[in-house]
Amino acid sequence: MKRLFGVFVNGLIVENPLFIIMIGLCSSMAVTTTVANGIGMGVALTFVLVMSELIISLFRNLIPDSIRMPIFLIVIAAFTTIMDLEMKAYFPVLSKSMGVFIPLVVVNCIVMGRVEAFSSKQPVLDSVFDGFGMGLGYTWVLIALAVVRELLGNGTLLGFQIMPLSFSPMIFFILPPGGFLVFALWMAVSNNVRKKLLAGRKPEPTEDSCCTLPENGSTEKA
Amino acid sequence: MKRWQMIKLGLILAIYCIVGCVGLAFVYNSTSKTIAQRQEADLQAGLREVFPKATGFTPTDKVKSTNPKVIFNAAYTADGPSGPLGIAVKVQGPSYGGDTTLLVGVSSDGTITGVKVLENKDTPGLGANAANATYYVDKATKTTFAGQFAGKKLTDAFEVKKDVIAITSATITSRSITNLVQIVGKAVSDALGIGGSSQGTPPVVPPTDIVRPSSRPVTSSVSGVSILETLVTTRDGVIVSVSAKATAKSYDGDVTVIVGVSVDETITGVQIVSCTDGLGNLIMTPAFAQQFAGKKAGTPLEVGTNVDAVSGATFSSKGATALVEATADALVKALAGGGL
Repeated sequence: MKRLFGVFVNGLIVENPLFIIMIGLCSSMAVTTTVANGIGMGVALTFVLVMSELIISLFRNLIPDSIRMPIFLIVIAAFTTIMDLEMKAYFPVLSKSMGVFIPLVVVNCIVMGRVEAFSSKQPVLDSVFDGFGMGLGYTWVLIALAVVRELLGNGTLLGFQIMPLSFSPMIFFILPPGGFLVFALWMAVSNNVRKKLLAGRKPEPTEDSCCTLPENGSTEKA
Repeated sequence: MKRWQMIKLGLILAIYCIVGCVGLAFVYNSTSKTIAQRQEADLQAGLREVFPKATGFTPTDKVKSTNPKVIFNAAYTADGPSGPLGIAVKVQGPSYGGDTTLLVGVSSDGTITGVKVLENKDTPGLGANAANATYYVDKATKTTFAGQFAGKKLTDAFEVKKDVIAITSATITSRSITNLVQIVGKAVSDALGIGGSSQGTPPVVPPTDIVRPSSRPVTSSVSGVSILETLVTTRDGVIVSVSAKATAKSYDGDVTVIVGVSVDETITGVQIVSCTDGLGNLIMTPAFAQQFAGKKAGTPLEVGTNVDAVSGATFSSKGATALVEATADALVKALAGGGL
């Protein structure tokens, strides 16, 4: 149980997909102009990630190593499309708020990255926990970005006016340059916390080379 | 050995593909009907929103788009208790970040009954506010951007920042949507034969006695400009003005204009017939064409000095202006040459 918890917590800060592994950055810039979008994208990605890792982990012994990437793609894309269709048919309200994010999630590198690096080699339960951890790690970053960008760039939070009406919104924060600035600031905060967390703790020896991370992120890139 | 390995891998991949496809086909089959019903219900709800007074909607093909970049996906006659009330059109046309889709309702008395933004891919937080139900262009009356069109007369100017309130920092989106609404309004008023629309063709030549095709073709010396047809207006057998329809390449499409020139070498009127540039439909606003009227033919026309560009479509404005200038020049030369 403790091991599973460790896998889960790993994705939040120590191996955060956005701040440490640095994959899936493009979607994080694009959707974080409002908090509602950030939450929607985060939840959609977490769901797809957990399910993809679960399925790939189940099939991991049936997937030949040399053609694993196309198979991951087929499985993830088919599964996501099926979910999209089911949602459209039976949960229209959910589909309306999440539907726009589904096509973004299918090709998201975090899904491919975690499936490749983790669940294709790890047992099912670990994979599910990794999916939750990574998904949550992604979601909190999106929300953190979106809170700053929406508040300063639009004067609202979740669509409600927070700043006084005399406040002139700083459009800069809604536009990509502001997004990068906020991203960098949050990254500095997160890395500072990470350093404190890791201080005094010896890097755990892991069986898999993929999971030991150098100080500045792994070789995978978005 | 290696070859067999390849074939084996290919077969495994094929099996995954087949299983995936069968799964997708099965789910698609079982859900497509429900999804179609839901979309139909959504569309009906949207139609009711833009046409609150209608009791039902019947598809119609009376309304046609004249602009190749603006597509009318569907059109519906709004039925009232005593006959049709007007027409609602689902229209798709270019905006800042790709095509945007609107539902526009126009009543038979020439009023916009409502506009609903179905899809908009513009910048989130800026242009995308066009589709935001809680983004008010007028906070006092809680009017959304699309909401301000309800009750608007087709005879209005439809000019952003004049009679249409723009979305802050999203002028191009505001203009594109306003333009689409106006195009639908014009198409519907043409289809229903509603008079009094100021969006009708501004007179290119003054109403005079006889209009006939010219006796000889007029050509332009400017390369790339092709004059399609020339009409001559005569009063008591004397030529008073000529007009020509000409086309040329513009920014990334073609632009076609009609230019009228009187014998005293003054441009009597210009109509932008079509412009297939990316955002070229923006220059089809009457205000752009009207500024040419009264200018001396043969004088250089230049965007920025004596012609105002439509913002967001500077290149298209330049293309159209150059074509107007070339056509006017050709007409002046043809008039001087005689034999028309």
